[in-house]
Amino acid sequence: MTAPSPVTALDSTTQYAHKLSNGLTLVAEAIPAVRSAAMTLLIPAGAANDPLDASGASSVVAEWVLRGAGSRDSRALSAYLDDLGTQRGSQAETLFTRFSASLLGSNLLGILPVYADIVRAPHLHDDGFAPSQDLALQQLSAIEDEPSSKLSILLRERHYDFPFGRSTSGIRQDVEAMSAEKLRSDFAQRFTPQGAILSVAGAFDWPALKDATEKAFGTWVAPPAVAWPARKAPCGTHHETQQTNQVQIGLAYDTLPDNHPDSILVQTTLNVLSGGMGARLFVEVREKQGLCYSIHAGYHSFRDRAAIFGYAGTAPDRAQRTLDSFFVELHRLSNGITRDELERAKTMMKARVIMQGESSGSRAGSLAYDIYQRGRTRTLEELRLLIDSVTLARVNDYLSANPIRNVTLVTVGPEALKVET
Amino acid sequence: MALEFKNTQLSNGLDVLVEINPNAHSVAMGFMVKTGSRDEAPQVSGVSHFLEHMMFKGTAKRSSDDVNREFDEIGAKNNAFTSNEVTCYYAQVLPEFQERALDLLSDMLRPKIADADFDMEKKVILEEIALYLDRPSHVLFEALMADHFVGHSMANSVLGSKESITALSRDQMRTYFDARYGPGNMVLAVAGKVDFAETIALAEKYCGHWKHLDVQRVCQNPVLAAKRHPIRDEKLKRHYVAGLCPGPSAQDDDRYAAMVLSDVLGDHEGSRLYWALVETGLADEADFSFYPHDHTGSFMIYASCDPQRAAQVEGILLGELDQVLKEGLTEEEVHRSKTKIGTSLVLQGESTLGRMRGLAQRWTYNREYRTLEQDIAMLDSITRDQLQRVSEKYGFAPMTIDTLGPNAS
Repeated sequence: MTAPSPVTALDSTTQYAHKLSNGLTLVAEAIPAVRSAAMTLLIPAGAANDPLDASGASSVVAEWVLRGAGSRDSRALSAYLDDLGTQRGSQAETLFTRFSASLLGSNLLGILPVYADIVRAPHLHDDGFAPSQDLALQQLSAIEDEPSSKLSILLRERHYDFPFGRSTSGIRQDVEAMSAEKLRSDFAQRFTPQGAILSVAGAFDWPALKDATEKAFGTWVAPPAVAWPARKAPCGTHHETQQTNQVQIGLAYDTLPDNHPDSILVQTTLNVLSGGMGARLFVEVREKQGLCYSIHAGYHSFRDRAAIFGYAGTAPDRAQRTLDSFFVELHRLSNGITRDELERAKTMMKARVIMQGESSGSRAGSLAYDIYQRGRTRTLEELRLLIDSVTLARVNDYLSANPIRNVTLVTVGPEALKVET
Repeated sequence: MALEFKNTQLSNGLDVLVEINPNAHSVAMGFMVKTGSRDEAPQVSGVSHFLEHMMFKGTAKRSSDDVNREFDEIGAKNNAFTSNEVTCYYAQVLPEFQERALDLLSDMLRPKIADADFDMEKKVILEEIALYLDRPSHVLFEALMADHFVGHSMANSVLGSKESITALSRDQMRTYFDARYGPGNMVLAVAGKVDFAETIALAEKYCGHWKHLDVQRVCQNPVLAAKRHPIRDEKLKRHYVAGLCPGPSAQDDDRYAAMVLSDVLGDHEGSRLYWALVETGLADEADFSFYPHDHTGSFMIYASCDPQRAAQVEGILLGELDQVLKEGLTEEEVHRSKTKIGTSLVLQGESTLGRMRGLAQRWTYNREYRTLEQDIAMLDSITRDQLQRVSEKYGFAPMTIDTLGPNAS
């Protein structure tokens, strides 16, 4: 049976954009029905441009900058944000250090100067350095206790070209060798408004938001952050021996980046492979064969490269069959998908788009991602039309012209697996 | 805009709760069944969770493939979960798919439980058990619950063990289902862009024929004593410590104060444990949380650290609790935590799934409904003295402490 398409109309959302003269891009989307506002601030300091001898520097700095900034020490900073009810997070990612915050829209303007202080004028005192470094080292140990985290780090390192595959957690000897002085100078070189993105979604007043952003960030001037030249990834097959209850299986292969006009075809295909409970991996490998509890694939994209990452975890005696079945499903894609599968994928994607419109947090994240990917934001209506534009012929032509090849495989567990070629 | 709440009970005892939000773009609906691992006899340990999986394996009208495919056809964001006390099946859909979602969810709740499906899914459950055995915090938490609640049904593992699942038969599962899944032992909660009359009519159409069943949960008081259980695993790189002590139950009015207390002491940002352990870099995680259960309750402490800091970190964790008992809390920190919780209630209120789950949970435990405004007013009314009284009443004792790490403790 063919599923009907959603008929729910999308509210006409209102989007705004303003580029500051220092290179920071501000974008915002009003969501009429909510009281909250969510903010995402991306600063172009991430694992990819960590100093070559200091892998993990952005993670240590992301922790350290919160320990006092502007006129406030660590406790005063935290108290100020808490008093405005700010739910927040911060973390170093591959390309950016991300600061995210959600609170009542009426309190939004109060936090902008504080985040400006954090990224422009953190204290970076010596006494905050040692604990920040220590936490980064503990994080590295914690990864050893979580085989699935270890797998995803190894897989990205081996599949993506350097520096895109660098781990945000860094390398132990690099983190151990870091000094406060060295990281202060690293901070100065990479915390810059050039290429930085500030996105807001929810309840806000645009003129006031624009003014407050200019006031908080407008006088910030710094040169662009460094970028390291790419170096070919090892790819291939790799096994890490560890005495675990389950074998962790991870695989990756290249695909189109999100800003490519045909990337919607990749994402449609991925929905057929691993979108919902009726998707091929779940049904064929878990439901019909009972080989594993967890099996899925996801899409990840930089601006100029992207990959599908697949994952499964299963008992050692069933790992080979799980891997073989995973490959069967990947290769079967080149035979195309059915019309019913296409309709289900489109319905799921459209429903996600509409539901995303209810959440200020997920919209703020998507707006920032759009600016990074394509330099402009997309409305929910544009996304809906994009999904509508997908036809069976387009998807299947793409799949037959792009069979899956050059798969990078990483396993963590008691024994290595055999890979078909 | 204020949300509107209406509810009714079908003649078979199924409570239907509806919260209408005309501004929402979606509808979230879920059946919350008051059954979980604490309702299991030892010989069927893990059956609630295994049964939750079997609900997706087909009915008299639908095959397993049909169930999975139909959720995708309506673009549902759907899942299910099992805890010690409840099992919940839910879906978030666009309003035009409300009926199909309810048809599907309600049909799932009358499962076929075929032999072949049972045997196949048993393998998946065993994989899920293996998956969690590779997560130290889970291993520690299971051991801690078993140690703290020894002799009480809250000690029962949600997943069960490799042995109990292997030995479980389809007939035992069917018997459990027949005894627990009566309409009077569950609620149907619906939140978002819905019409009340239409929702009730749909509930009647799809669930009205379910037979009434008398279901009871036996709630005893746990017998608690201070104890300690070090678990050694040489493979681990980190030391994990967790402790459980008594707290207010889900029915106790002290639960609101307990919620604020847990934020002051143990939130991941700006709490006392954060300043004492994470900011100083002694532990990469440190929490104090409140778990209200059905007619019993717990506070839990947790931290992970380098093995050589185990004694120091545990000393600080416990020292912070003592400090609260001796010196109390400041007005400033209580006010701050109330603001944080208030904001999180507003944010949760903007999600239809969040509202649905809150509705179902509250009705399951207390048969009550509160608006967001009532919740915030309740939160505002909590005083520092109340927090102090709750801390002293429970005294963070007797405490069960379990540790897991490469060294013998």
